[in-house]
Amino acid sequence: MYNYFRWFPDGKIVFAAPSRPLVMQQIEACHNIVGIPQEWTIDMTGQLSPSIRACYWKTKRVFFVTPQVLEKDIQSGTCLVKYLVCLVIDEAHRALGNYSYCTAVREVMSVPVQLRILALTATPGSKQQTIQLIIDNLHISTLEYRNENDDDVSPYVHNRKIELIEVAMGNEAAEIYNLFLDIIRPYVNKLSTFGLLQNRDYQTVWSLLGNCLLSPVDLLNSRDKFRQAPPPNLPHIKFGEVEASFGALITLYHIRRLLSSHGIRPAYEMLEQKLQQGPFARFMSKNEIIRKVKLLMQQSLAHGAPSPKLSKMLEVLVDHFKTKDPKHSRVIIFSNFRGSVRDIMSALANIGNLVKATEFIGQSSGKTLKGQSQKVQQAVLEKFRAGGYNVIVATSIGEEGLDIMEVDLVICFDANVSPLRMIQRMGRTGRKHDGRVDILFSSVLLVLACQGSELKGYMRKQASGKAIKKHMRNGGMNSFKFHPSPRMVPHIIKPEVQLVELSIEQFVSRGKKVKGDQAIETPVCKDKLTVAESEIIAKYFHPTSSNLGPSLIAFPHFQTFPSGVHKVVHSYRTGMLIDLMQHLQGLTFSRDGISFLEDEVASSKCLGVQTECEKKDEKDSLILDDIQGSKSPKQVTYSELSPIGTLRTKEKHSMPHFYETSPAAHAYLFGSDFVSVDALGNVLIVSLPSLPFEELSHSKSTRVSNTLVLNHMKQDSFHLKASDGNCNEITMQDKAVAEVTTSQTTYIKNGALQISSLCESGEQEEKMLDGFENILESPIVKRKLLNDGHIFSETLDVVEIKELSLLADEYNDDLRDTDLSPRLTNLVKSGVVPESPVNESGLLNSDERNEFLFQDLASPDKLRTEELTKSPNLGKMERGSTDDGTTGRNVSVSPVNKETQTPLLKMKRSRGRTILSPVTEEPETSLTNVRNSSSSRDWHLSPGDKSENVEPVRKFKRLCKAVDHGKNRNPLSMNENTVVAGVKLARSSCDTSSIQNKQGKGKTKLMEDVRAFIDEEAEVSSEVEISDDEEDDQDHNSHDDSFIDDRINPTAASTQIASGGVDMMAIYRRSLLSQSPLVRQPDFSSICSPDSAAPMTRTSESGSSSGKTLYSIQTPQIESKEQSASKNPAPVRINQEGITSETMPCATTDSIRENERSMENGKRKFSFYQSRSIPAINLEQQFSLQSEAAGIESCQQSEADKIETNGDALDDDQFYEYLDFDAVEEHAALLLKQKSEFTMHKQDITPGPKLQNLGVNDSPSFDLGI
Amino acid sequence: MADETFDPDLIHAIFKHVWTRRYLDRERNGGNGAMESEAGVGTSKKNRPTSANAHALKLSCELLRTFVAEAVNRAADIAEAEGVTKIEATHLERILPQLLLDF
Repeated sequence: MYNYFRWFPDGKIVFAAPSRPLVMQQIEACHNIVGIPQEWTIDMTGQLSPSIRACYWKTKRVFFVTPQVLEKDIQSGTCLVKYLVCLVIDEAHRALGNYSYCTAVREVMSVPVQLRILALTATPGSKQQTIQLIIDNLHISTLEYRNENDDDVSPYVHNRKIELIEVAMGNEAAEIYNLFLDIIRPYVNKLSTFGLLQNRDYQTVWSLLGNCLLSPVDLLNSRDKFRQAPPPNLPHIKFGEVEASFGALITLYHIRRLLSSHGIRPAYEMLEQKLQQGPFARFMSKNEIIRKVKLLMQQSLAHGAPSPKLSKMLEVLVDHFKTKDPKHSRVIIFSNFRGSVRDIMSALANIGNLVKATEFIGQSSGKTLKGQSQKVQQAVLEKFRAGGYNVIVATSIGEEGLDIMEVDLVICFDANVSPLRMIQRMGRTGRKHDGRVDILFSSVLLVLACQGSELKGYMRKQASGKAIKKHMRNGGMNSFKFHPSPRMVPHIIKPEVQLVELSIEQFVSRGKKVKGDQAIETPVCKDKLTVAESEIIAKYFHPTSSNLGPSLIAFPHFQTFPSGVHKVVHSYRTGMLIDLMQHLQGLTFSRDGISFLEDEVASSKCLGVQTECEKKDEKDSLILDDIQGSKSPKQVTYSELSPIGTLRTKEKHSMPHFYETSPAAHAYLFGSDFVSVDALGNVLIVSLPSLPFEELSHSKSTRVSNTLVLNHMKQDSFHLKASDGNCNEITMQDKAVAEVTTSQTTYIKNGALQISSLCESGEQEEKMLDGFENILESPIVKRKLLNDGHIFSETLDVVEIKELSLLADEYNDDLRDTDLSPRLTNLVKSGVVPESPVNESGLLNSDERNEFLFQDLASPDKLRTEELTKSPNLGKMERGSTDDGTTGRNVSVSPVNKETQTPLLKMKRSRGRTILSPVTEEPETSLTNVRNSSSSRDWHLSPGDKSENVEPVRKFKRLCKAVDHGKNRNPLSMNENTVVAGVKLARSSCDTSSIQNKQGKGKTKLMEDVRAFIDEEAEVSSEVEISDDEEDDQDHNSHDDSFIDDRINPTAASTQIASGGVDMMAIYRRSLLSQSPLVRQPDFSSICSPDSAAPMTRTSESGSSSGKTLYSIQTPQIESKEQSASKNPAPVRINQEGITSETMPCATTDSIRENERSMENGKRKFSFYQSRSIPAINLEQQFSLQSEAAGIESCQQSEADKIETNGDALDDDQFYEYLDFDAVEEHAALLLKQKSEFTMHKQDITPGPKLQNLGVNDSPSFDLGI
Repeated sequence: MADETFDPDLIHAIFKHVWTRRYLDRERNGGNGAMESEAGVGTSKKNRPTSANAHALKLSCELLRTFVAEAVNRAADIAEAEGVTKIEATHLERILPQLLLDF
């Protein structure tokens, strides 16, 4: 086998053994002898499923199988027959008839396959015919015979003494035995008369019977013969009689044999059993002799009836164990019948402790005795080997193949078995041969035979066995016919005998033994640990692990890049985490910029507060006082960092509060929140998840939350530092410039606005949702957590910002007010993008302030546009954190400008408003927001003429609405903004959009006017040489505009259609989308037009326009931003910044959104709605302008009209109406600061329509989303 | 390999500790609720504390060894980058999320 294993590396070797225990045994034996590597071997029995076996057939090379498995697998084809090179068949004497060996070999031979079959057996057969059959079945070509005297066997054979003990049968038994003869005789006679007993006359039969030589087998053969070929002279009626006779005979013989070999008890039980049922009972029940026999047996049993054999056996056993150590000696007692096994067992039980006996029987369950399952058998053998038992009482199952080394006594309880089985029985002993260990055991084969017939039978069988041995001699060449088999090894190769020392690894058995090992091991493990050690374990592994574990979220920054690995490579999930964290961090970067802006804004607010404090005596002292009062705590809060967040949150809250009036508004708010995350920040984000928008918002919200937290942290730190720096700067500016007053006023206004917003927010908060506050609190906590990590970077940024601010201060000599904004922008830029700010600052230095502003704005705008373009190009991912950050920063810069500007405007307006209507806080805020946006633009313009700008701005808004004013202001702005041509161009684009919107509205006149203005502005801009950057911006704007225009056109159409009531949904969507951008654009344009004087604002507008384009693309975010901006100045800025920063993600997301526009549409719609609701304010201005242009009526009239229209008009109209209302409110506030009642009414009206709008929007949005 | 890895006895003791604890918890919980009665047939096996055979234990030791070694090495990288010679909890926290995902 081993040679074949070496010779045929691809060949499969099969070792077949008839039973499972044998298979297990052989695999180990083979391993230990030749050392076939265990990885190539596998044992397969019927317990393995065929599929697993098929797998093994492919992968393994040496198989230890049961013949049934082999047969089945060959038939099913899973066994790769063609690779078979060697088939070893153990216990080959079983290869008779249809046994699996035969079929398997037949199958194999039917395939033309060259293989060697090696058949092993200790007992080839008792007759020449059977041996020949085996040879035929297995295609044996050579027979090698060894007996114990041969040279190569004798080393392994040990002294084996066969002792034949004759035991005389008991008297009673003998009597019964003879009685049975009497019973049998008539039947034999009958059969003999029919000539059915095998050519033997009655006398021979009788003699045979008398000697117990006529075995049941003979009778069976006779019966078979009779059945197959009944004698022709026999009438059919006799058949039954003959059959009955045969049956009775067989039974009687059986009982008699039991009696002779095993004693009375088994015979009696057998007889009893037979008599109770079946034909035998009917046949024999009337026989008197039978009754007599039965009686006798009962009597003898009643005496105890010790069987002489049993007693002798016990004697022998006790003697054996006296000489041998009971712990190391093993005895097997064979008996043919289970009944006698039981007798033996009961007898053994009386011996005492020396003998620990167990039975070892087959699986089949008889009527009286239950069989042993294979598991039980294995367990018995296991225990027998280990020493748990030292005596096994076995039936024939124990005869074959059991390899139990220590067995040194085998007792055959009945000798009357075939020589084959005798040899097998003998084989169980004398195995203690390790080759090296030469301990000779005087093994004994003890045969207990009864006198007489049994002894004779034994002798006869021994004789026939000897005859067979003779046949075997000389390889059986003379006696048997062999089958040629091919030579497996090529003739070229002459195998040489070589003595090789094999190093064999220790055999590791599978399965069960492992368990045993472990069972032994575990207690050992227990013992190895000392008490102290186990105490330590108990100490460190608390049942309740309340210990603070390491934090997984402590260092999010470290999760944005793969950490160094030692041996374990990063998993796929880690890659996902890194990607995700990079996304989040990227957002955080951009938002950081935003946060900076916010910080700056906050600082500006602080500054404004300070200025306000300084100028408390000045205008609006009362309001200022209030503001101051509110501001002082605010300042304190600012100093505390967190308060800022709270203020913002409050502002945000105020925003949500407005919307909260209507549940639909909530959705809007949420949408806007998540879109405008920055502005609304934590609250919105927190609230978002609850909303149905969750799908869209989740990712955003998560990012937003993270970014927000970061931002807040940064903001907080920033605020402290920035506030200081800003305060210083502001103070400086205030001192230096006469215009400082304006700036101060603006600051004051900002502060007032903030205060108002804060107040409002506070009120609203009180009124409104507590949940928001809770949400805010949680974010704050997060912020705090984040603060620790981010403070360092923030501080650095702050330092940079300060430096930049200083530079900016130096550069800015002319107008510090304007400088402030640039500074802020610069600061923002520096904070966000340290690199770009320097250049910008340089530019600012070289050029005029406006130009600086312009350039700055333009550059950011360009950057934005570039970023925008890049961002989509780059993909949706924000991995390009630098780009994103820059974009976000740029964006933030522009927002900063806007913010700075806006606060001023807001301040101005807020003053009026605050003065006019403190009560109407909400509308004021909205107005302030709108005004702020416009004011921010104005503010840019304002540096030169703040008051004028503000007024013009207002006028512009109004005028823009009413073209004339806009024109007037535009020229002013043109004059002022000669440098701002680019801005104007952007504005023009915006204007065009607005014009288009207007056209859509049918306000051609206004459009024309606006166009004219735009043209003029464009001309101015063309005149201005700054156009390059601006042109780029314009281009971008134009692109944006084109988008916008496209949208606008459809929107206009849609608006018209909407008015027509056709395709409300699509129209709404388009209108919303188009309107939101359009509105925003118009707002921007309006702002721009007023801001014409202020290139900064325009640039910011251009940025906004770019933002708008982005908005148009990313409308939801932009809208939300706009909304936020409109609502609160600071939030507006933040929003804008956030928007810009968001635009980056948006841009990235834009592609996605575009792809998923259907999905996004819903979002956009929401955003649009939000934007409308919020932008509505912005739009309101435009709308109001339009409405004014259309109506050219007084604000009140327009308001009334609008209100009326609101009530009557469609949703779009309502939106417009809302816009109108806001615009009206604004107009009122701006123009005359009309009665608070109006504003109140307007406010009241506005919420209602807003609610309606929201509701309307919601329904359409849902539809659209679908 | 056997020299470098954890002592299987230790690991087994720890496992055993956890298992018995869980077993006790389960028993406590089971005693309260109707789970026990519902479980019915399967209780005998469920009631037994978990056990591991020798090979599983060996493997667990090796896995834990790899995990700890990896964690220490990564944390050491971080600490080294910071110029610190001592690994601190923060270093471990930085590499922990990815480490956990890697295993």
